[in-house]
Amino acid sequence: MIEILSGIFLLLGTLFILLSAIGILKMPDLYTRMSATTKASTLGIGLVLIGTSVYWQDFGIASRALAIIVFLFLTAPVAAHIIGRAAYFGKVPLWEKTKIDEFGKRPDDVGD
Amino acid sequence: MSFIEWSVYISVIIIGLSILVIFLRLVIGPSIEDRIVALDLLSANAIAFIAVYSIQKNTTTFLDVGIIVALLAFLGTVAFAYYLGRRGKE
Amino acid sequence: MNPFLFNILLAIAWMMLVGEITAGTFAAGMVVAYLILWFSRSAWGESRYFSKIPLVIMFVLYFFKELIIANLKVAFDIVTPKDYMEPGVIAVPLDVETDIEITLFANFVTLTPGTLSIDVSPDRKTLYVHALYVKDADRFRNELKNGLEKRLIEVMR
Repeated sequence: MIEILSGIFLLLGTLFILLSAIGILKMPDLYTRMSATTKASTLGIGLVLIGTSVYWQDFGIASRALAIIVFLFLTAPVAAHIIGRAAYFGKVPLWEKTKIDEFGKRPDDVGD
Repeated sequence: MSFIEWSVYISVIIIGLSILVIFLRLVIGPSIEDRIVALDLLSANAIAFIAVYSIQKNTTTFLDVGIIVALLAFLGTVAFAYYLGRRGKE
Repeated sequence: MNPFLFNILLAIAWMMLVGEITAGTFAAGMVVAYLILWFSRSAWGESRYFSKIPLVIMFVLYFFKELIIANLKVAFDIVTPKDYMEPGVIAVPLDVETDIEITLFANFVTLTPGTLSIDVSPDRKTLYVHALYVKDADRFRNELKNGLEKRLIEVMR
């Protein structure tokens, strides 16, 4: 029973990881790619690690898995934010079908 | 073979496939930022692979490696992005 | 005395009564002690400890619900060959004020799939968000402000 539950978590997690891998290949520009991939490192890995700790049923393993999950939830958005910012100021182009860009016509074009 | 063994095998195969697909993006780029995102995602896949591998090999020591990989991946990403930000300014 | 300290003391008492010193019994003790304190909250007078914890739990549940829904939406777009995306960069005016609130809000926005916070304006009044599904810029702004930001303000203040 426990093993089946753990297996389901593993398969769900790897499914999300595969989806984000396809996403990073398929999406048209850097920003949409990042939107699709920040989540593999959170939801996908989170599910895989939950599956692992369910399988071991051990406090040491569970706390280690929890440490990785919390760390990823803290750092993944920070990393995505600084890359996105650096990319925008480094003039990485937006997709041509992007509808609006309110950032480009902001009043103070200083860019820190 | 039991269900958990099947799911571990399938997971390993799927993660391997994803690493291949991400590697394509790492090769074709086109910008440096794309490559950084791909590298970040590769290390994320490495963590998931380590977790699955620890079940397959029936040892728990590998999870410590997972923690280290997570820490290093974040540091690497921040360092790259910092460098890019500096380059944009000068 | 601070209700939080008292909560920990009661949890330790629970641990001794059960006779097992493990993280599991401590966690159970924290929950039981919190319930006891909550029932006797009139004796404590005004304390934010009792109204905050349920709000935090509600916020976490709401956030995970949004995370899963948005993930499925993006996943659907990745699997089907046709693109349904209408991406755009939106300026969202901020009601959150302090550094920690802005940081948390930007991080939660980035964690939700399909949205990515790019920059905060120098006067800290506007957050620039890259979103995958922008049908209508004003509606998107309203959804973000009335959903995530309102709840975050409830928790933080």
